[in-house]
Amino acid sequence: MSRTSTRRDFISASVITSVAGLASTAGLWGSTEPTPAAGGLSYRILGKTGLKVTSVGFGCMITSDASVIERAADIGINYFDTSRGYQHGNNERMVGAALKRKRNSLYIATKTDGSTKAAVLKELDTSLLELGTDHVEVWHLHGKDKPADAPDELFEAQQIAKQQGKIRFAGVSTHNPKEMIPFLVKKGATDVVLATYNFTMDKDVADVMAQAQQAGMGVVAMKVMAGGFRRGKPGDATASKLQRPGAMLAALKWVLNDPHVHTTIPSMTGMNQLDENLKAMAEPYSSQEEKILAAHLEFITPLYCRMCGECDGHCAQGLPVANVLRYLTYADGYGQFALGRENFQRLPEEALSVRCGDCPTCTVECPNGVAVRKRMSRAQELFA
Amino acid sequence: MKTSVRFAWQLGWLLGAVVILAPVLRAADIADCKLVPGWQQDGASRHYAADNLFEYLDGGAEGYLLYGFKQLQGVTCASGDNSIVMDLSEMVDSEAAYGIFSSNRDPHAPLQKIGMGGQLMPQRSTFAKGNFYVELTATPDGDHTSALQAFTAALEQRISGSTTPPEQIAWFAPEKLVSVHLVPESVLGLPELRRGYVAEYDQGKAFVVEEASPEAAQTVLGKLRARFAGSKSAPVADEAILAQDKYLDWVCFFRKGKFLGGYTNLPDGPTAQAKASKLVGRLP
Repeated sequence: MSRTSTRRDFISASVITSVAGLASTAGLWGSTEPTPAAGGLSYRILGKTGLKVTSVGFGCMITSDASVIERAADIGINYFDTSRGYQHGNNERMVGAALKRKRNSLYIATKTDGSTKAAVLKELDTSLLELGTDHVEVWHLHGKDKPADAPDELFEAQQIAKQQGKIRFAGVSTHNPKEMIPFLVKKGATDVVLATYNFTMDKDVADVMAQAQQAGMGVVAMKVMAGGFRRGKPGDATASKLQRPGAMLAALKWVLNDPHVHTTIPSMTGMNQLDENLKAMAEPYSSQEEKILAAHLEFITPLYCRMCGECDGHCAQGLPVANVLRYLTYADGYGQFALGRENFQRLPEEALSVRCGDCPTCTVECPNGVAVRKRMSRAQELFA
Repeated sequence: MKTSVRFAWQLGWLLGAVVILAPVLRAADIADCKLVPGWQQDGASRHYAADNLFEYLDGGAEGYLLYGFKQLQGVTCASGDNSIVMDLSEMVDSEAAYGIFSSNRDPHAPLQKIGMGGQLMPQRSTFAKGNFYVELTATPDGDHTSALQAFTAALEQRISGSTTPPEQIAWFAPEKLVSVHLVPESVLGLPELRRGYVAEYDQGKAFVVEEASPEAAQTVLGKLRARFAGSKSAPVADEAILAQDKYLDWVCFFRKGKFLGGYTNLPDGPTAQAKASKLVGRLP
């Protein structure tokens, strides 16, 4: 069975196994089963924190108008995610202003980018000031993608902040859940993990999300729309496929269908996105949506390099395959030919002289199904 | 052909060739610690594009992408115990550069005439010029104004491109204005208002969105009329509506040619209408 079909099966299996998954995980740290409520909201317990959160939260990072956040709170969404660094502090200020009327019935998560104990504790004080609150529910160490990024002093800072009553729970955010979640589980100092998780990912990622949930952590998924939905330019083939009606909702439902995920933080800039995302709590993940996501994967799999690094050192000619594929994405995916060519031309002379078409066979096999030889040849034709 | 005419043609071709062949300064060429004596680069330079900016800015990267980010080049400069993180983001155009600057600026700190606009603070300096958005952050805690000022001046001189803020900024009356920023999508959180400028005042907010044609603007106003049930027409510009909303309070939306504008978050209808009328007078 090809990797592509395995991935498709993974999407498909999610529909079938979710009920069984819900049953098997219930009772560990409270029920993870979505609890339907009036107005179509559903709730899950955020691991050992015990917080009863809506399964769709609100990622505030690119929201530019407080009215969207305020309306979400009025509707009943109760988990809001921001960060000290978003919009250089303007985001926390807006979130605080938008939520102050309902502060006591809501959960706020923010993050710190600091790298020392003193720096993060100072950032926390600034966050509380800007948010207009004396505590936050979850305080994440932001963007820790390898254990070395998260030294002990940062976990100590979180404990100090807890003792001071400035945070209720300690969190870590990561784009590399496969490496970080096992580390955090072993360390045992983290209450909530915020991890990149969407339908384009390996089953291995689902497995570590389950590991986090089983260890009692609250599990929050980010980048649930797989990024590219929003970034594509009008007229671009990838964008038009990804931006079809229903695609974003399907991607969000796919994540919610995983019983190990407690809440999600899709970013929202407008009322329409808010209304769309609310549907994910009221409607089940359907077979039609499964088809939409499978079609997306079919389309992007031969093209889309996930930068997993599995191809490093495998090219017989010594080409940096992942980098070349990335440069091609600049041109094909983002419409920035000049940027792609500029980067390609910076490769060493011996790499620039290689033509993949001259090799009798390709020694690189992408575990995610990217047609490496074809894509490399295209890059060489386009940029050389 | 007379000699003088031929000479003029040759000179014209030569100047044209110089303009065409002149190297365009890229972010990589501009970010340099040696711009200010006594500073040197600490560590490798940074380079990020749209697909991996998150590795550097994490979730903050999304905001840059929304505004039209192309690439970031950065270096960290050191002098003794002091360091300055210098990041130059190249955006798709000068409006995008101003847009991300306006989104990130501190509304409580004064705006300064650096490039199209900038802010110089004790530990941080930001400005937009041409297609570039520049951020300088100094550590450790303390007043680094003089070093930041020196780097800012050197970078401003090195970057070519527009020093004039987008013309839309001038459409908003300066009295009691807190800030003006470009909103890349869903102005006021309304999907009908796709992209435009929002000005925050001591009281209320003003906005302007430019559509492709008067007909397109007319369609959008029709959608707003439908969204705000109970709205009534108002005698402002080509057409206008007055409405009351839970989140925008009293609001007046108007259309003037291909422009949609309005005032929101005001205590009553007459005030919203009067302020909207003044905004109409400032539009082209």
